Amino acid sequence: MWNRAVIDDQTFDREAVVRMSAGDPEGLSRLYDRHARAVYSLALRIVEDRAEAEDIVQDVFSQAWFQARRYDHERAPVAGWLLMMARSRAIDRLRSRRVRPDNAAAFDDHQFDAVVDPAPRQDLEAISAEQAGRVRNALEALPPEKRRAIELAYYEGLTHTEIAERLGEPLGTVKTRIRLGMLRLREALGQA
Amino acid sequence: MTHEELRELTGSYALGALTRDERRSVEAHLAECDACSAEVRALMPVADALGRIVPQQDPPAALKRRVLDSVYGAGQRLPSVYDRPVAAKRMGAWPAWLAAAAAAVAAVALGVYVQVLQDRIVRLEEGLRQAEARAASTGTALVAARETANEAQMRVAILSAPDVARVDLTGQTPAPRASARAYWSRSRGLMFTASDLPPLPAGKVYQLWVVTAEAPVSAGLLRPDPGGRASLTVETPQDLATPVAMAVTIEPAGGVPAPTGEKYLIGTPTH
Repeated sequence: MWNRAVIDDQTFDREAVVRMSAGDPEGLSRLYDRHARAVYSLALRIVEDRAEAEDIVQDVFSQAWFQARRYDHERAPVAGWLLMMARSRAIDRLRSRRVRPDNAAAFDDHQFDAVVDPAPRQDLEAISAEQAGRVRNALEALPPEKRRAIELAYYEGLTHTEIAERLGEPLGTVKTRIRLGMLRLREALGQA
Repeated sequence: MTHEELRELTGSYALGALTRDERRSVEAHLAECDACSAEVRALMPVADALGRIVPQQDPPAALKRRVLDSVYGAGQRLPSVYDRPVAAKRMGAWPAWLAAAAAAVAAVALGVYVQVLQDRIVRLEEGLRQAEARAASTGTALVAARETANEAQMRVAILSAPDVARVDLTGQTPAPRASARAYWSRSRGLMFTASDLPPLPAGKVYQLWVVTAEAPVSAGLLRPDPGGRASLTVETPQDLATPVAMAVTIEPAGGVPAPTGEKYLIGTPTH
């Protein structure tokens, strides 16, 4: 059930994006005021470096500015769209750190295919702050091995194969843990 | 992979923790499996929530200025629309990455141009309010100011139309240095800007034609300024057939219903 505040915020965001698509910087300014903190916080959680997190904020909002015309509010709420971009950018940076210059030459296309591709093409519904809070509590209450697997996937951009290696667990176990953990978090989130 | 194997991946898919190949396999499966598809849809908001539950911290205050400047920075160079367009035939010979880079630059320049227009509207509206306040006796000036403001508004609308198409026109034999660019949207109109047009002889005018599969349709008359520039913004009829080309010809003053004179500019739409 959407409460009134969620709907109003989304309308506000959508208007800001419409302004941006018409080239009105006021739209960008409003969007920044509402979401820069969330974008910055997520980027910082992932890259753990303030200067890089700031660069990501700049990248995300400039991408939003230039893609405003293509943004489709039926696919994702504005906040979800911005956070998805922030996570992709942040994980790109983590990934490029892992590829050191001395082995960059060996980083061919084939290997690139084995790298996580952090952009599922799915619609996203709006969730409230309260629902997000319930997910936080449920994540903290998960058995540590499930929680760790989910965190490595989302915040470090590891594939389940890499997670299995990192944790020294069989791949099948990791896959199952991620799925069951996610289903548990979904229960906590409740009905959207 | 079997349904059971793919079903194991729904959580990792929603988290974006799959390799590209795995992701493609899952997406192919989702297209035909309602159960897995429903599960992924249910799990997507969980991933969204994970993005929001991190410890919240304020970015430095100066970052906002940096972000705003990066997209419409002060002192940026003006409009791509007035630039000499790159001849279409040359593009084919470019390496793909270079063409992509050029397109990206054009997109940025377009964004800047929209911004320039937007600023102009603000200034024009302001000028208009002042003029209105001053006197009703400046009726003519008022109408002109209103028209200019309306035109700028319309240009913004055209440039931001979802169905906008671009036409680059190149100079023909009588005017090899001339060039022009048009943006056309069925829903919002046509905007056209030419540069380096030769001065008109007495009793002549340039006429812009939208060439459809059926016939050339006049889009209006053009009189270049002393610098050889001419521009035009017009509404286009909703039932106009899709343009296959645009052309500028020289015609007797007052214009003609169908082109008779020599062609000065010709171009076809690019998408």
